[in-house]
Amino acid sequence: MLTSIIETDTSAASITTDGLLRQFGSLTALDRVTVTLPRGGVVGLLGPNGSGKSTLIRILLGLIPPTSGQATVLGHPTTKPARYAGDVGALIEAPSFVPGLSARKNLLSLARLRGLPTTRVAEVIRIVGLEGRENESVRRFSLGMKQRLGIAAALLPDPALLILDEPTNGLDPAGIVEIRQLLKTLAAEGRTVVVSSHLLAEIQAACDYLVIIRFGELMFSGPMGELLDKAGARIEVAPEHPADVDRLRVALAAAGWSIEDDSLVVHGSAADAAALNRAAHEAGITLSRLTPIDESLEDVFLEMTAAPTRNPVAASQGARKKAATNA
Amino acid sequence: MRELRSELTRLNRRGIWLGWLGLMAVFAVLINTVIYTIAANGSAPPGGGPGVAFPSMATLESSSGIVAGVSSAASMFGVITLSFWAIATASDYSTGLIRLLAAAQPHRWRLLLGKIGALLIWTVLATTVAVVVNLAAALPSAEAAEISTDFWMDDLVSEIARAWLTSFSASVVWGIIGLVLALLSRSSAIAISVGVGWVLLIETIIKTASSDAGQWLPGTTLTALAQGGTDDLSFAGAVLIGCIYAAVGLIIGLVIFIRRPITE
Repeated sequence: MLTSIIETDTSAASITTDGLLRQFGSLTALDRVTVTLPRGGVVGLLGPNGSGKSTLIRILLGLIPPTSGQATVLGHPTTKPARYAGDVGALIEAPSFVPGLSARKNLLSLARLRGLPTTRVAEVIRIVGLEGRENESVRRFSLGMKQRLGIAAALLPDPALLILDEPTNGLDPAGIVEIRQLLKTLAAEGRTVVVSSHLLAEIQAACDYLVIIRFGELMFSGPMGELLDKAGARIEVAPEHPADVDRLRVALAAAGWSIEDDSLVVHGSAADAAALNRAAHEAGITLSRLTPIDESLEDVFLEMTAAPTRNPVAASQGARKKAATNA
Repeated sequence: MRELRSELTRLNRRGIWLGWLGLMAVFAVLINTVIYTIAANGSAPPGGGPGVAFPSMATLESSSGIVAGVSSAASMFGVITLSFWAIATASDYSTGLIRLLAAAQPHRWRLLLGKIGALLIWTVLATTVAVVVNLAAALPSAEAAEISTDFWMDDLVSEIARAWLTSFSASVVWGIIGLVLALLSRSSAIAISVGVGWVLLIETIIKTASSDAGQWLPGTTLTALAQGGTDDLSFAGAVLIGCIYAAVGLIIGLVIFIRRPITE
């Protein structure tokens, strides 16, 4: 079924996977993952350690084949990585270079491998802020400097798709902001930037689209806002008179609203505020507060990756409803 | 060509220059000192073991005496070559660089051919250093041992060319063995240990147990190749078997490199 989508709508997707399965012996690293990532923008790839992120990246880059299923990158199947290798730059796991060579020579060897002009090396060194350090041996580089060098190597082919595994690992706060800005700039130029990271705040600040994997299973794929809305949209309400608290809880529950524990926190998005207000008004209660609670990606992620079922959004909402019922 | 230039850029570092070429030069000096000292003392040349072939006084005084050190140290040069081919191959895995290389050039056979091409160029350089240092060390060593060098200028060019060519050929096969071991183990330490252990221990044991089988083993074959043939194996036979080892090694190396997934 997805094959037809791939054939007809490849221009809209940077990456597609269809039932992607990868097993290492008895271990299932990726379990039938089907996902379509848009072209352009910053895509966050999230998941706990050992969730299958790196396996997915390796399959996309043609380093390992899937056990079954198929995937495309920039419209080309991953079985033919040579067709898209020139348009893809990658930082895979830790930055990998020849320690005894300078940063410039390391980049020069990769530029020569890709058939790029020597001048491109100086350009990417400038972009990642390694000017003045390019002739130093990589052996003497800090982790942060190696990260910058890894990003420089990924930028060498001026790629349409950039895949970066933990790009801000080892960077100081100023460096993180700098790289985040760089990623946004690259995406604004029309590139697709896929960022795998454990820094959830960083992902939230930089990404437009999100893919969450746990134990090889796809937990979520969609725009960042959609996830936060679905999993975390809550509104805190308060009556004008404290004596009306219990009456308000009963009225809202009767109107079908899910309420958290002993508080007056109702599950709903900002768009539900008017309906809530109306329900309270119909019960003869005036509200003094109606405040949407912004849940962070970290809250959602931790809740999602701790959920025992495959559908964490449903699981978390179900848990809240159950708690409200018990209360 | 891109792959070759890229690999040459990575190999152009101090560790390779000093390690590979430096060791070749050191062993060239060392072997000359040893063979002339042993010959001058009139003691019997030590025997046994693949590659251990000390020349007689007659050989040292002949026209080929000036390059006798190159032939005598063939196995040493071979082990050095094996080690650096293995290091250049396995370090791509140990550093993780192989992921970047394979992502940039998915036609892995081109990556491997580029690496082999670059290592061949370095082997040309290393063999040349060994021969040149040998030439520089041979004369003072011979004079110190009071061995006649009257015939050394006869056929000088052809003797040097023969020594260079046979030493280079043997070294290349050693190198391919190192490459294959490194691709199999993805570890330079394991590849070098297995290579050296084979030559120094296993092959010696096999040869002791069965001298017929020993003639076909890599160490003995490549020593015969470097020395232009031995009593046990003719030069033509050594060339043939050496070519078979090289061809089989290249095929195994290509199949492993292309088909094996790049995981850790």
